[in-house]
Amino acid sequence: MPDNWGFVLAAYGLAAGVLLAYWRFLARRERDLRGAAERNRIAPVSGHPGPEPASRTPRA
Amino acid sequence: MTRLVGGVTLAALAAGLVMGFGIAPREATQGNVQRIMYLHVPSVWVAYLAFAVVLVASIAYLIRRAEAADRLAHASAEVGVLFTGLTIATGSIWGKPTWGTWWTWDARLTSVAILFVMYLGYLLLRGMIEDRERGARFAAVLGIVAAFNIPLVHFSVYWWRTLHQPPSLMKPGPGTMPGIIVTALLVNFVAFSLLYVYFVARRARLLRREAEAAG
Repeated sequence: MPDNWGFVLAAYGLAAGVLLAYWRFLARRERDLRGAAERNRIAPVSGHPGPEPASRTPRA
Repeated sequence: MTRLVGGVTLAALAAGLVMGFGIAPREATQGNVQRIMYLHVPSVWVAYLAFAVVLVASIAYLIRRAEAADRLAHASAEVGVLFTGLTIATGSIWGKPTWGTWWTWDARLTSVAILFVMYLGYLLLRGMIEDRERGARFAAVLGIVAAFNIPLVHFSVYWWRTLHQPPSLMKPGPGTMPGIIVTALLVNFVAFSLLYVYFVARRARLLRREAEAAG
């Protein structure tokens, strides 16, 4: 029977791609959550809360 | 700790590749395409393991209502779906040169496809229900019901006449595979099991942080 290396490479390549993509998803989500937590922690300390939404609208 | 598991996992995966491609010999009848086995069989092993953990964690959640058990079930189901998808895809790639077809509706392939869809449904169910406690409860029930499919998948090759071969390792009686091929397979089993632990630990930690962030 021929060796069919193309099929072997396709199987291993697909598996590597999928597993790497899942690892990257976990890493990115973790980074996003850490960033959000950091922002939440810093905002009240800085003493410069953002303006109220109503104050952004120009007065007539 | 997770980082250490990640490092050991990487080393184990590298060892698995060396065993599968460098040490294990070319199979006499199928040729080198048989090397897909070192990826396909450990993938389905991890899928079985993941769904067994979902079953145990779901029962634990229903008894104790511990959120950690729910997070473990959720993380394990997600990783299980990932590996079931890999099992189906790599099996299909292996099937084409050996059986002459990418897919056939035989008992093993169909039962694995049902398993995949059931746990995909489990994840969708979790995403659909906004009340976290209610979602966790429903998911736990589904996680228990869906686990009944695991023995069906494993024994389907005995109960029905299938194109898929019967198990070579997880079966009673003496093995028929040469020792070096069994060793290569076992190294990959260990590597994939470590990968499962690593992914589930990270995913469960993420789920905890997401819950904390949501308040």
